[in-house]
Amino acid sequence: MDPTEKPRIHHRAAHEYVVWVIGLLLFAGIAYTLVTNPRYEWSVIGRYLVASTVLKGLLLTVWMTLLVMLIATLLGLVVAVMRSSRVLPVRILAIGYINLFRGTPVLVQLILWFNIAALYPNIRLGIPFTSIGTALNTNALISATTAAIIGLSLNEAAYMSEIVRGGFNSVPKGQLEAADSLGMSEGMKLRRVIIPQSMPTIIPATGNQLTSMLKETSLVSVLGVGDLLQSVQLISARNYQVIPLLLVASIWYLVVSILLSYPQAKIEAHYDKSRRSVQAGAQELITDPTLLERAT
Amino acid sequence: MSADETVTRASEPFRPPGMGDAEGPGTVHIRKLVKSFGARKVLRDINLDVACGEVCCVIGPSGSGKSTLMRCIDGLEDIDSGVLKVNGEHLGYVEEETHFRALKRRQLRQQRTQIGMVFQQFNLFPNMTALENVTVGQVLVKRMPKAEAKERALSLLARVGLHGHEQHYPAQLSGGQQQRVAIARSLALDPKVMLFDEPTSALDPELVGDVLDVMKQLAGEGMTMMVATHEMGFAREVGDSLIFMADGYIVERGDPREVLANPKEARTQQFLRKVL
Repeated sequence: MDPTEKPRIHHRAAHEYVVWVIGLLLFAGIAYTLVTNPRYEWSVIGRYLVASTVLKGLLLTVWMTLLVMLIATLLGLVVAVMRSSRVLPVRILAIGYINLFRGTPVLVQLILWFNIAALYPNIRLGIPFTSIGTALNTNALISATTAAIIGLSLNEAAYMSEIVRGGFNSVPKGQLEAADSLGMSEGMKLRRVIIPQSMPTIIPATGNQLTSMLKETSLVSVLGVGDLLQSVQLISARNYQVIPLLLVASIWYLVVSILLSYPQAKIEAHYDKSRRSVQAGAQELITDPTLLERAT
Repeated sequence: MSADETVTRASEPFRPPGMGDAEGPGTVHIRKLVKSFGARKVLRDINLDVACGEVCCVIGPSGSGKSTLMRCIDGLEDIDSGVLKVNGEHLGYVEEETHFRALKRRQLRQQRTQIGMVFQQFNLFPNMTALENVTVGQVLVKRMPKAEAKERALSLLARVGLHGHEQHYPAQLSGGQQQRVAIARSLALDPKVMLFDEPTSALDPELVGDVLDVMKQLAGEGMTMMVATHEMGFAREVGDSLIFMADGYIVERGDPREVLANPKEARTQQFLRKVL
């Protein structure tokens, strides 16, 4: 046979079959115990998975996650801009904020915000060292849910600001010089050059934070906020089905975190315009020969 | 430093014949300019006049300070001392009785719109199409209505030979096309002085010609240009004057054809022997 015509054949290595067998056995084993072990109480799980108190808790967990991430992203952006300010006190303020909120446990922060009235029984709005202003009762102002949102947002903003700063730093220096050379102001540069170009770096990390925030909200159950975890714990406190109900919560956390990664992919694709269009452009050249003529 | 032994300095700024004074729009006027990065002096005692409509080519080995000089004239680098006037105004400062007082940033930005800069690495905004790259400065900085800015951008892109590429992103364009978009982007703000910092050094050899053609056309229209370049052919053909820089000094300045054919200074001769 003509050697130029001979097909090239790759055989699967023997250990690959071994891995397949081990993998299948492992999966079968897990499936077997999930199905046959009565202690999983699948009927209980099925009953409570769509129970209205659980769904209410799930809803609170989801909106709290989204709200906290929104506040944290905006605040993080502000802190990141402050962090790279030319003015020293502003920079110190930002660095102090980041260190304070990253350096203490978020659980402690949540409890502190919940008990902020112990430190400041009244919050006074007005000009310091004068009698101008009004005093407000802290306990009336800050409910458990508010404390939870404040605590999580402030903590998360510290992390987000570092993510945003990392994104800003990923923008090549030449881009800033080109913007300077055109006479753009700092605000214009930020809006039209720095933020759009740092998005490909910021989005994946933010998506990561989003999924981790979804689970971090379970901490607010210690404040008695009726989130997903708190709502299943309330049920299991009555019927003692602790494990099945924890599994109910876990299943929902899992489902939502998988769903949340979908918009992330969409947003990533949107901001990846400049890279995506390399392929789109090449495609265009192939389908439209007049473009090629014009180009040459 | 030992550089002083090998390098002599051009004392009197050269005036190409037929060129006016270095005063007013479209001019550059530099006296005793010094610029250092930390302890390293990059520009030492630069004296230079570029008249309105003059094409001044800057050659020299890498590290000689060509790029830094360009960046100083664009206001990207703050100078240590000396006088730097672009378009007849002190760049970034107001002259007072005893000192130079820094301008407000808004005023510096205003001055910068009068100076165009073309970078070696193009530095187009990758998140914008060619058209958006050319309109963004007009709309944001010059507050021009969008429709008018777009119309101007279209005609500028056509002028640099990029008709039909308006909607392409920089990543879809060749280096030569990107550099021509970058030139159009600078021209969109109606600068009176154009600075080119090795505009063809990052290009494939076959794409250099297109960019040089656009620059020649621009020179023919009477634009004041300073061009740091390794393209001796361009300097010879288009340049009104030529500067040879080495170790932070202007070593020699004169008519490009004259300097390239009969360099007076030993350092210039040594450089040209290697590149020509």
